[in-house]
Amino acid sequence: MASATGGFAGKVLRVDLSTGAVSTESTVERYLDVLGGTGIGYRVLWDEVPAGTGAFDPANKIVFATGVLAGTGVPCNGRTAVTTIFPTCWPKPLVGSGHMGGQFAAKLKYAGYDALIVEGKADRPVWISIRNSQVQIRDARGLWGEGIRRATLEISREMGGECAVAAIGQAGEKLAPMAIVANSVSHSAGGVGGVMGSKNLKAVAVQGDGAVRLAGDKGEWERLVKFHLSILGGNNQHVVPSFPTPQSEYYNPGSRWVGEPGRRWGAAEPPVEITGNIRDLNRIAYRTNSAAFYLGANAWQYTVRGNGCTGCPIRCHTIVKVPSVAAKYGVGEMGQNTCAGLLFGRGFFRKLAAGDKSHTSLEACMLGMHLADDLGLWCNYGQLQRDLIKLYYDGTLKAKLGAKEYDSIPWDKYESGDPAFLLDMIPRIANRQGELGAVLSQGTAGLFTAWSITERDWSQDKETAYWKMGHPKHHANEDDGQCGVIINTQYNRDAQCHSHVNFVRNGLPLAVQKRLAAETWGSPEAVDAVGDYTPANVYKARRAKWALIRKELHDSLGLCNWMGPWVASPLKERDYGGDDSLESKFFSLATGLKTNREELDRMGERIFVLHRALTQRDMGEPDLRSRHDTVPDWVFKDANGAAPFSKGTTRMDREDIAKAMDLFYEVMDWDRATGAPTMEAYARLGLQDVGRRMQALKLTPGTRG
Amino acid sequence: MNSAGEDWEEAAAEAVREASRQGRAVSAAEVLEALAARGFDVTSPDAGEKAEAALRAHAGLACFAGADGAARYHDPALLSATYAGIMDRKASPTLLMAEEIRANSREYPRPVPVELFEAEPFGLTPEQIGDALRAMAENPAFEDIAFTATSTGAVYLFSSRSLEPGYAKFLAEHAQNLAMNP
Repeated sequence: MASATGGFAGKVLRVDLSTGAVSTESTVERYLDVLGGTGIGYRVLWDEVPAGTGAFDPANKIVFATGVLAGTGVPCNGRTAVTTIFPTCWPKPLVGSGHMGGQFAAKLKYAGYDALIVEGKADRPVWISIRNSQVQIRDARGLWGEGIRRATLEISREMGGECAVAAIGQAGEKLAPMAIVANSVSHSAGGVGGVMGSKNLKAVAVQGDGAVRLAGDKGEWERLVKFHLSILGGNNQHVVPSFPTPQSEYYNPGSRWVGEPGRRWGAAEPPVEITGNIRDLNRIAYRTNSAAFYLGANAWQYTVRGNGCTGCPIRCHTIVKVPSVAAKYGVGEMGQNTCAGLLFGRGFFRKLAAGDKSHTSLEACMLGMHLADDLGLWCNYGQLQRDLIKLYYDGTLKAKLGAKEYDSIPWDKYESGDPAFLLDMIPRIANRQGELGAVLSQGTAGLFTAWSITERDWSQDKETAYWKMGHPKHHANEDDGQCGVIINTQYNRDAQCHSHVNFVRNGLPLAVQKRLAAETWGSPEAVDAVGDYTPANVYKARRAKWALIRKELHDSLGLCNWMGPWVASPLKERDYGGDDSLESKFFSLATGLKTNREELDRMGERIFVLHRALTQRDMGEPDLRSRHDTVPDWVFKDANGAAPFSKGTTRMDREDIAKAMDLFYEVMDWDRATGAPTMEAYARLGLQDVGRRMQALKLTPGTRG
Repeated sequence: MNSAGEDWEEAAAEAVREASRQGRAVSAAEVLEALAARGFDVTSPDAGEKAEAALRAHAGLACFAGADGAARYHDPALLSATYAGIMDRKASPTLLMAEEIRANSREYPRPVPVELFEAEPFGLTPEQIGDALRAMAENPAFEDIAFTATSTGAVYLFSSRSLEPGYAKFLAEHAQNLAMNP
């Protein structure tokens, strides 16, 4: 069966660490209806992990799953979803997933597997060796206590330099909920490292020598890949460059497309100057320089090159080399990461003397990357850093920590903005040292449970960016009004959805965005200018649904939702339109299973609703609307008292958000009163078994009196 | 036709394309110079008008009013109107900045960081920028050009014709925070 369907590697690998049993099952026979990635993860948890299972219970399972398009030539593939009962979710653990890029996904496919399900708990530290069909559980006692880099190096020495190693650091070993698993130096999935640690699983290493078979016409495939390349922008699908060029009608100083002719990768040996036409498809990798975007133009001189995932031309993990940092702090001179990982160190400081784009800022980023990506500490999308800032400056830490512990922390360095502070703080948290380490390593949940801080203290303070359930906002009203709010209500961790923000931040003029919105979601009213929001309408609700479904689709196809979807493009000749059917076209060609946008979106919706059902089942809560889909108070405030819908505020209106949720539930075919999927919705999506179970649990609308 | 048998109108269009490849929009007079260099007779009294008419009628070319009021021609496939306009106004930093600020406020809409004008293709020195801002402040023709500062002290410029001061301030703060909101 598997051989008849392209795209899929064919098998799902299952390793029981309690018994040592290794088995496989057919991906297509068992999981075709949920595609891969989070789809497989949710399905495994639904079928096999009972409600009430704790994140660190041996009964919890951790699913590393990629998708049909991973390991192919599709741009922006290379993603692995790591789905499990998520340990930082408060007040009780619920389903969640971390997502990593790098080379792991492709290697897993080339070894013959679409997913790896790890269950049980080993009686000693182990690592899993996957070399094609040879799967072994190996002794990791010699690696336990080592950081991610050392573990990766030691395993790579044995497996070969071409393998991909996904390892945890000391944070995961010590069962810190705030722990990552990382592969390919800097590609991490947050929140799941402790689950691996709880299973005594230090690492998973994969070497695969196979290939991904494409079922469709190869010429058509190549043409589609080339077309996809032509509609790519820079990182986050910013489709206009940050600078005016002869080739561009539009530009945006805030764009992540910062690579312009004349810039140099100054630390490359020899240095590389960007030349030629910025539209050249063979030069897309020059467009993105995350270090320069986040740290300013000075970062060009430290840039070695871009790094990134298999098959991705964007290369958003910029490698920087700063020998002076190595000399000053005794750390490695090279660093690489993007976004929150790149900002890990800088984020701890309320203010740096010379600003966010100073050399001090660069030093803080270098130290943060070096420490966190080795110790395996997660930032919870910057919440860890914001929590520390608030706790320190409002006096909580002084009150909660004993004097001896408090005085042992170099607060003078912290206040003066000295990056050396990180040499103390990051290991302290990752190693769970003292009261501070024990609490902060639990994430914001730790503050609520250990220190009796109320969630309300956080949800009223905009500076925390806290949203709910122990996690922060992720592109909410500050970027996209009601659409952002709806999206942020839906998950059990930060939403990690970029479908919507990649569109509103794409850099095109508002009139062009509105035209594209009308074409895609039915009305120009589906999108507003930032901070000039209009009341909720059904088109915004449709766009929120589209954004969520595409996120799940990308996570289940092995594509990057940090880059897609591709409804906009840099191409004037296409009126700046992209192709909203790209995913289904690739899926059809890869698998040989002909589908279209609507049908594939229905599969994405099925996966999303499965997440919804799993959340509701494990909460045991019929009313998700008021108990889960919550919005923090700060969303309804403005520091200057500006009214909702006045220009220049992101303040939302409570009644309008209630209406937005009404509209969203309607377009989802969910019950308006409770936000619970209806039996009709389950049936429409082919989830009758899930619906029946939810009905039996009295968790479908109308089943409780 | 010239002695090489080239078509006059097509040669005129090619002159525009060649300039576009070099990042310049050109006037009809410059096109005539290029044609003369290629052996065309451009001495007739109506050569200028003829050139203007031919260039305007050419489907692949576009034109805009240059800083001196004369028409400028370019091939938008090779040189965008935005970039052509910037290059055309480079001789006058005040006009260059004002028109760019107005275009950004009108089209996107957004204020622009003042350091934008130090980068290419603007390439102004801090002194030139300061002089231009002072000149604008003293000239009623630029009374719509205003500035706002973010909480971190970054200065953004906008046109009050298209952006209210409060909204411009909000957008400046939003833009400044993008790098800390990944």
